[in-house]
Amino acid sequence: MSFAERMLKIDRRIIFVVIALCTLLPLLYPVGLPIKISQEVRGVYDHIESLPERSVILLSLDFDPASKPELYPQAVAILRHAFKKNLRVVAMTLWVSGTGMADELLTKVANESGKQRGADYVFLGWSPGGTAVIINMGQDLYNAFPSDYGSKPTKGQPVLEGVNSLKDVTYAVSLGAGNPGVEAWYVFGKDKYKFELGGGCTGVMAPGLYPLLRSGQINGLIGGLRGAAEYESLIGQKGRAVAGMDAQSATHVAIIVLVALCNMFYFTLRRQARQQGSQS
Amino acid sequence: MDATIIGAWVATGLTLFIFSFLYKDNPLFKLAENLYVGVSVGYTIVKTYDTVIVHLIWKPIVENQEWTLLIPVAIGLLMLTRYVPKAAWLSRYAFAFIVGVGAGLAIPRTVSSFILKQIEDTIRPLLMLVPGEGVTFSWNLMNPASSVNVIIVLIGVSSVLFYFFFSVEHKGPGKMVARTGVMFLMIAFGAAFGYTVMARMSLLIGRLTDLIEYSDPSYGRPTLWLALVTIGTLIALSLRSRSEPPEEG
Repeated sequence: MSFAERMLKIDRRIIFVVIALCTLLPLLYPVGLPIKISQEVRGVYDHIESLPERSVILLSLDFDPASKPELYPQAVAILRHAFKKNLRVVAMTLWVSGTGMADELLTKVANESGKQRGADYVFLGWSPGGTAVIINMGQDLYNAFPSDYGSKPTKGQPVLEGVNSLKDVTYAVSLGAGNPGVEAWYVFGKDKYKFELGGGCTGVMAPGLYPLLRSGQINGLIGGLRGAAEYESLIGQKGRAVAGMDAQSATHVAIIVLVALCNMFYFTLRRQARQQGSQS
Repeated sequence: MDATIIGAWVATGLTLFIFSFLYKDNPLFKLAENLYVGVSVGYTIVKTYDTVIVHLIWKPIVENQEWTLLIPVAIGLLMLTRYVPKAAWLSRYAFAFIVGVGAGLAIPRTVSSFILKQIEDTIRPLLMLVPGEGVTFSWNLMNPASSVNVIIVLIGVSSVLFYFFFSVEHKGPGKMVARTGVMFLMIAFGAAFGYTVMARMSLLIGRLTDLIEYSDPSYGRPTLWLALVTIGTLIALSLRSRSEPPEEG
């Protein structure tokens, strides 16, 4: 068996160990590689930055714990930015399995920013219907969510003063890990009720959302952990996403090297087979 | 014991049990997998019951006398007639209502958002009229709206559409156009795969970050102890499978 054959039949667990080391070492010993800010992430940041104080930002946390490593840091960064700008935050989720995590996240960031539930922010929780909830909110927010996550009536809460439907929302951001998510918010929300929309998504979903970005259907897109790291850099509060970027770069290099090596071994074997064929 | 510490031990244990599958399938992985499915379904059922039955149906009807809510409740209950063969036909009314409303809401919005808006974005002027400069052609690849990008999009969309046009045989100039379409598709698949790799690595980074955090003495070092338990169990299982006689085929 030639070296190339041995390499192509290598135990896959060795590759797992290589990837694990490439991830673990930069997390333990960070290098601090530079992070370049992309236009799509800057789109969301600039829009929030341009909003006047006490504007209403709707944050739809459309993900569950399975997508936490990518979307949780995005949510934290956006919330920190919104609270720093003294915006009123209306948070909700279209994913029932994400309600507990969304509440914990919102409470944690609000507490560190010194914001009060009901006055500066509200968590509406989850309501059944998926995309129908968006349409319902577009007609009457209080009908879609008669009470918030803590069973407190939504009507009369200072944070929702002057907000009757989605038409009264200044800016909406959906952090989506699937359907319903960013696309649903565009189709049933922005396109119908005409408010500005930004998006955040997992890395897997990002290529599918670029057409919406290019056509201006969404004004910004935060893609995966990388997008979260860019947003953390923009607000100047580096967190888990920035900490993970060295590991991300190291694993990408490892995968590129592995793909290149595999191709090299594969072509070597093919050339050997051709040579053997021509000799016989 | 503090709930945070219990949570750290449970999260660490389940993460390591799931990771043990990378070595080989084993009972620890099965335990974590079944727990994940069970907890997810249990959580969803409880949340749905609390939100829908208690807060959106029971309380408004009993406390606020919102009797109109009985109409959607009745339509919803019709769905359950699927389980009674003689009355199953009644469920068709509920399904007809849902399909009708769903299609009515979704079709116009989807056509507007994903077809008309995207076509509008694809068909952009190749040349731009800039006041004072006249007709210009911009070469900036970084600007999505530049003339050169408009041409790339035009070639990409046309060639990919032609590749999926099977009524004409792909030969001669047609073959060249179809191959161009394949190249654009390959670039799109490459970008999608690259993002997928990034996403999967992000998930690994997330779990490893937690494992590093939970190796702290303030949590009782669950990462260290549970890693030892996991590795010990895998070794024990491996030794036991070696000592067992091979199955007779």
